[in-house]
Amino acid sequence: MKYLEFINKKINENIAAHEKIVLFGQNVNAGSCIGGLTRGLKIKEGNMIINSTNSENSLCGLGFGLMLSGVSSIFFMKQLDFLLLSIDHLVNTFNIIRSLKLENKASFTIFPVTVDNGYQGPQSSLNNFAEFCSIARIPGYCITNKKDAEEILKAKLTKPGFRIITISQRLVKEEIIDPEQILFVNDEKTVFQYNKGKDLTIISFNFSFPQANELFLEFKNNGINASLFNVNSPIETDWEKIREDVKTSKNIIVLDDSNSHNIAANSLIVDLVSDGNLESKILLKKEIKNGWLFPNEDLMKIDYKKIVLEWKNRF
Amino acid sequence: MNDDINRQIGFDIIKIRISQMMINEFYKEGKFKIPIHLAFGHETIAVSIDRVMEEQDKILLSHRNIAFNLARGKNFKKILDEYYLKKEGIAEGKLGSMNLMNPSKGIIYTSSILGNNFSVAMGVALAQKIQHTKGIAIVLGGDGSMEEGSFHESLLMAKSLKLPCFIIIENNEWSMATSINERRCNIDLEKFTSAYEIKYCKLSGNNPIKYIEELKKMREYAVKNNEPVCIEFNVTTLGDWIMKHDDYPKGKFINYHAGPAPTIELKTCPAIIKTSEQDPVYALKELLDESEIIKISEEIRTQMYSEQI
Repeated sequence: MKYLEFINKKINENIAAHEKIVLFGQNVNAGSCIGGLTRGLKIKEGNMIINSTNSENSLCGLGFGLMLSGVSSIFFMKQLDFLLLSIDHLVNTFNIIRSLKLENKASFTIFPVTVDNGYQGPQSSLNNFAEFCSIARIPGYCITNKKDAEEILKAKLTKPGFRIITISQRLVKEEIIDPEQILFVNDEKTVFQYNKGKDLTIISFNFSFPQANELFLEFKNNGINASLFNVNSPIETDWEKIREDVKTSKNIIVLDDSNSHNIAANSLIVDLVSDGNLESKILLKKEIKNGWLFPNEDLMKIDYKKIVLEWKNRF
Repeated sequence: MNDDINRQIGFDIIKIRISQMMINEFYKEGKFKIPIHLAFGHETIAVSIDRVMEEQDKILLSHRNIAFNLARGKNFKKILDEYYLKKEGIAEGKLGSMNLMNPSKGIIYTSSILGNNFSVAMGVALAQKIQHTKGIAIVLGGDGSMEEGSFHESLLMAKSLKLPCFIIIENNEWSMATSINERRCNIDLEKFTSAYEIKYCKLSGNNPIKYIEELKKMREYAVKNNEPVCIEFNVTTLGDWIMKHDDYPKGKFINYHAGPAPTIELKTCPAIIKTSEQDPVYALKELLDESEIIKISEEIRTQMYSEQI
């Protein structure tokens, strides 16, 4: 099943059971239904689906107003960039609401697509979800595979409180990655562990799980056993499980495909260096070239074989 | 009977005035750590809206919210304590002035960001519609906030979703130190709202009986038709002064905006600041004898001093 089809299916399942919910956004129930993300939404009687105006700032305020009044809602959005118009509400309105502990009266989820597929022009450089959420310590979740999609949507989509859940445009038409198992996931659904190995710890951020998974398999095929983690939430994540793993492996490869200068992976690396257990570390991140403001492929490319070969030569 | 009502309305208006004058004096003495936006001149609007609000109605305010918090909360001491950031304050000292709200009195949201509250109010109105409360959302902004894009977006949303609400503009013509003609072209709000087919009502003169009567009619219209109503009040935020600055050697006329109002003194009795209908206390002469206004003023002062405020 394709990544988008699976997420659409899970959204439908989670919404169908919910009482008193308003679903809104531009073309949420018309035309392509946000490229298929919201196709076929079914709601209980008394709930609402609104094909809204093109007013991202005020639509965000609308969701917070509903929340203040005890009505849950989801604001679906075609592009994370559009949410830049709502930053006043994401910071100021959310701060007011949570300062008075009013956020648990209802659920408000903003569900944008991170347009990271490239060739969109200068406006599509925003793909660093961690940085976006960091502005007001907003709970946020990236969906990268079948397992985390199930866990995050079930636990968070309509849970009381506010959060942003995002998917990758780049992965929309790809077959959804289905890891064999989840070895560990924390209560907040922010850190997932998919494999355990003694030689190396691989950790991915933002939407770099596909590359991390590929790298993991390349190491495995060469007889090197790695642990594989993905950090889905950029904010206030407790990565104790990763720190424990590194005590044994002592070697890390961290991946982060964010375009901006500040990347969440750096926070983890600082913690791991401070722990004093590291013997080697590799950070794989985007190489930002002069043409980054123009239409480009915008993909973090990795030479998996080369990395594994260098690793083998080193050890 | 009407005399009793007029006296009670007059009492509420003058009490808000004197409460603000006292805060102004404490402000001058440097007793507050937080910024406060006083609302001299807004008293009649606040009292009128308070009188019109039904139990299910919700109100969403801006940074200049003091008159409404006094009108709805009717507890000066708790608001003062809030300004001192004391635990005894109306929000336990957690909100201060610019975000002060009082959910038990229907003040469910207050924002100091210009135009921020319009769209939050649209969410509240939509929730009321879904929940069949028969209540309306009332949101307030000034002539500055209607310059924000969110004002247009929210009007559009209110009309498109058929939301029962009041979108109220307190037009005092000033945004900080610039008057409308110094910063922008005129906006004819009646024409502007008619473009959205939104009902518009303009009120001025500070007659509370007239204000209450009109607001009641507008509320009935909003509830009956599930429609927004835009109400523009002509208001003068009192406390203007001549700012002396190197850039203005002859001084520049400035409408009062924030901080203590330098030209307003507590000793002014019966609490009149301006001898025109721009001053809600002066305008009370339409309802009450001057001697009665002075009597009420003295009554309030005695009461407040006995409470050791």
